[in-house]
Amino acid sequence: MCGIIGCVGHGTETTDVLLDGLSTLDYRGYDSAGVALSNGTVDVVKRSGAIEDLVSAVEASPPTGPVGIGHTRWSTHGPPTDENAHPHVDCPGEVAVVHNGIIENYEALRERLRAAGHTFESDTDTEVIPHLIESERDDGADPETAVRRAVERLEGSFAVAAVLADSDAIFAARRDSPLVLGIDDGGDRRRYYLASDVPAFREYTDRVVYLDDGEFARLTPEDWTVTTLAGDRVEKPVDTVEWDPEETGKAGYDHFMAKEINEQPRALRQCLSERVDELDGEVSIGDLAYLNPRGVQLVAAGTSYHAALYGAQLFRAAGVPATAYLAHEYATGTPPIGDELVIGVTQSGETADTLSALREASARGARTLAVTNVVGSTAARECDDAFYIKAGPEIGVAATKTFASQLAALNTLTIGMVPSKDDREAIAALRDLPADVQQVLDESNAAAVAEQYLDSEAYFFIGRGLQYPVALEGALKMKEITYKHAEGFAAGELKHGPLALVTSETPVFAIVTGDGERAQKTIGNVKEVEARDAPVVAVTDGASDVSRYADHVLSIPESSPQTAAVLANVQLQLAAYHTAAKLGRPIDKPRNLAKSVTVE
Amino acid sequence: MSRQTAVVLAAGEGTRLRPLTHNRPKPMLPAANRPILEHVLDALVETGVDEIVLVVGYKRDRVQNHFGPTYRNRPITYVRQDKQLGSGHALHKAEDTVSGSMLVVNGDTLIDPTIVADVSETFEDGDAAATLAVLDGPDPHEYGAVAVDGTTVTDLVEKPDAGDYRLINAGVYAFEQEIFDVIDSTPRSRGELALTESLGRLLAEQPVTAAETDGVWVDATYPWDLLELSREVLQSGVTALPERTQSVWIADSASVHDTATVQGPAVIGPDSEIGPGAVIGPTVALGRNVTVGANATVGRSVLDDDTRVGPGATLLDVVTGQDVRVGAGSVVPGGPGPVEVGEEIFQDRPLGALLADRVHAEGGVTVDPGTLVGPNATLRTGVTVSENVPADVEVRR
Repeated sequence: MCGIIGCVGHGTETTDVLLDGLSTLDYRGYDSAGVALSNGTVDVVKRSGAIEDLVSAVEASPPTGPVGIGHTRWSTHGPPTDENAHPHVDCPGEVAVVHNGIIENYEALRERLRAAGHTFESDTDTEVIPHLIESERDDGADPETAVRRAVERLEGSFAVAAVLADSDAIFAARRDSPLVLGIDDGGDRRRYYLASDVPAFREYTDRVVYLDDGEFARLTPEDWTVTTLAGDRVEKPVDTVEWDPEETGKAGYDHFMAKEINEQPRALRQCLSERVDELDGEVSIGDLAYLNPRGVQLVAAGTSYHAALYGAQLFRAAGVPATAYLAHEYATGTPPIGDELVIGVTQSGETADTLSALREASARGARTLAVTNVVGSTAARECDDAFYIKAGPEIGVAATKTFASQLAALNTLTIGMVPSKDDREAIAALRDLPADVQQVLDESNAAAVAEQYLDSEAYFFIGRGLQYPVALEGALKMKEITYKHAEGFAAGELKHGPLALVTSETPVFAIVTGDGERAQKTIGNVKEVEARDAPVVAVTDGASDVSRYADHVLSIPESSPQTAAVLANVQLQLAAYHTAAKLGRPIDKPRNLAKSVTVE
Repeated sequence: MSRQTAVVLAAGEGTRLRPLTHNRPKPMLPAANRPILEHVLDALVETGVDEIVLVVGYKRDRVQNHFGPTYRNRPITYVRQDKQLGSGHALHKAEDTVSGSMLVVNGDTLIDPTIVADVSETFEDGDAAATLAVLDGPDPHEYGAVAVDGTTVTDLVEKPDAGDYRLINAGVYAFEQEIFDVIDSTPRSRGELALTESLGRLLAEQPVTAAETDGVWVDATYPWDLLELSREVLQSGVTALPERTQSVWIADSASVHDTATVQGPAVIGPDSEIGPGAVIGPTVALGRNVTVGANATVGRSVLDDDTRVGPGATLLDVVTGQDVRVGAGSVVPGGPGPVEVGEEIFQDRPLGALLADRVHAEGGVTVDPGTLVGPNATLRTGVTVSENVPADVEVRR
């Protein structure tokens, strides 16, 4: 969520590189931002508010120096103010530090530093770090040693970067919070970057080094090194990333979310390519096909949790006991693990709650599998195996295409791990999925339906079976980007309580696909809400007669039960998007939310 | 100095290609296995253009989704022309995105890099206010005719009824920034403004040069032209896929059964699957994620993305849209046949059938030569259809 950027080797352009990086990172959600440049002294400029506020402050008094770090902050300790913005400095202003994560022992450290005469200006946990470094310098340590010793005293999770007035280096360390180096040293050129996420410097280089927990990096205008905290050299591989920096552009759309909803057919093609063979009736998932799990525990949070609920149903339908857990609940109340495979579903691969759950499972001897979008992410590297959803970068805070790709990937995974003779239809439906999603996008009337219900008090979403997670996800999308009250329910649960909330001012989106027992029962629930005068929006493939009881219909093509969930979800994404757009909400950066939640 | 920015006009539907343009504009229709517009952008990139401005309008989502923010690492700026009021009006929409001189090309006509390079060179070597590519070959009375005196353009006439013209306007231009002022001062006719109108005004006052070129130029006006377009691409081999044997290109992610036969020229796009005993070719282009079932035969055809051909079906001289399903044993015996476009009937055109997006032909369907089937139409088992089938209908016996 918070973003870090740093660069050396850009001479007088350092500030521009840092600001560019921060604008690229700001999709993570932020409420303040700042930069610090070192050039004999340390110049710090920081502001609460948007990147634009920082840009005007920088223009008013430009910081200079060939080495710099920057930060976008999302408040965890202390409100968003200029003082609480990063970078933070020591007493004389000769050390500047940016930090993601949480320093758990900061209160104790701060008391000790205060007692030693240090003064603090902010409410943040981060501010102890520059003062710790200052105190090591006072004891005679050189810059690098001072930073190492300071980091050693921190408890908690962090990615930290520091610059010092009398050093031309950036020092950085990580524990439980992502940090990646960018290397651009062709010919005479020596330019190095560090960031919490690759897109921040992807414009300049595609060669990256992923730091692991407990590693310490030093970037200077001459070279880069990675060591352990104790100082032992670590030989790190330099990876090449494939994503194109311009993929972070909106491509003619008003919002990233609209772009990402519309590019779902392409994302699904990438996810399914070379994995699904219709004529042979087979899927290919490599060695994962031999895992043969006796049971599955899925851990995830947010939208990924809805995908996990869906995945658990797929495994159970294939005869494998499976349960989805909220990662934060799982990490602190881990269920018994026997032979179960533990699957972490996380778009970014950096979701702190999910990483904790996976580590807990690993510590108890479970085999772990990451289902993620980001190659080289912490989840991908820490789990025994990784299965990539290949959706491409997602910038909008509200997950859209990555949810669709998670569902497609979980289908592929289930069929590949637990083959059955009934797979042919499901495989054909998966192969048709990109075109079917395109059909929904071409023909959707969700914008017109959304227009009808802008003033509603609340929005409810109901579904059964595989459509229950979709109901939850539809409600999550609606609340995330419209700020309206929205809830998703298992349709059968309505009369056990939620029905009391249903009025003529609360439209109910009912997802009804196929014409089986589940569809008929959900139609029964539709009649219940209709009797309370609630407007009904049916999302349906037309197989049942639900449209007779609905005020509006959002149509999807006929498909398999598994893929119908993906198609229904596209209609709900569009309904939420158009509602938010008509209400004038900041769709790509909803208030209080961040793209990937890297603190617990 | 070379021209570094190109404005590509890609906002128009291409009404004479209905019903294939129901969900996308003409630039996104297939030239073999890739959209026409992709070939246009290739021509620009290969001649050194490093910034692309795409003017989009009709069904612009499809253009934006396909190309995203870059093409071959060149940034794309999208400019909206919400009402399609002519090519001059479209270019004018791009005014704020261009500084200095620029290339301007139509996004719906297949071109190769030669044309672009010829225009660039002529423009840079002279001091004309504008340069346009002209071709000797296609019938000037069907396109925009160009009269020249040496290399100076003297007149532009759209589809002249008579007159001795040799050259046509290829729709590839180089302009200085002042073209925007000329467009501003050109009166509109019925609200519309063609770029050639403004060019006519410009050449009355300043020198405009013609760059005669022998580059590739193929315009698809009518549905059967899409087969010609595809043939041209297969002949020149610009499929962007690996060539397996002589004139047979197959994507790495495609699978072709050992017992299937592929006769070149033919291209098989990513993720496509060819079943046992199927015969593909010659002169066949399959897009992305296409399935051809066991023992089916496909010849002289363009099958667009996600098309499914059932076992034993026979398709000759066919153009399909996206997501078309043709059931087992269905037959399209091939052209020539009478084709009804708008109010006009063209006799003996080389078209077996055009099946628009999401047509579902069940098993054992027969489609007579020259038939156009509208989007989402369902042809139930065993029917025979001829002439034109409207959109969204169900045809049963």
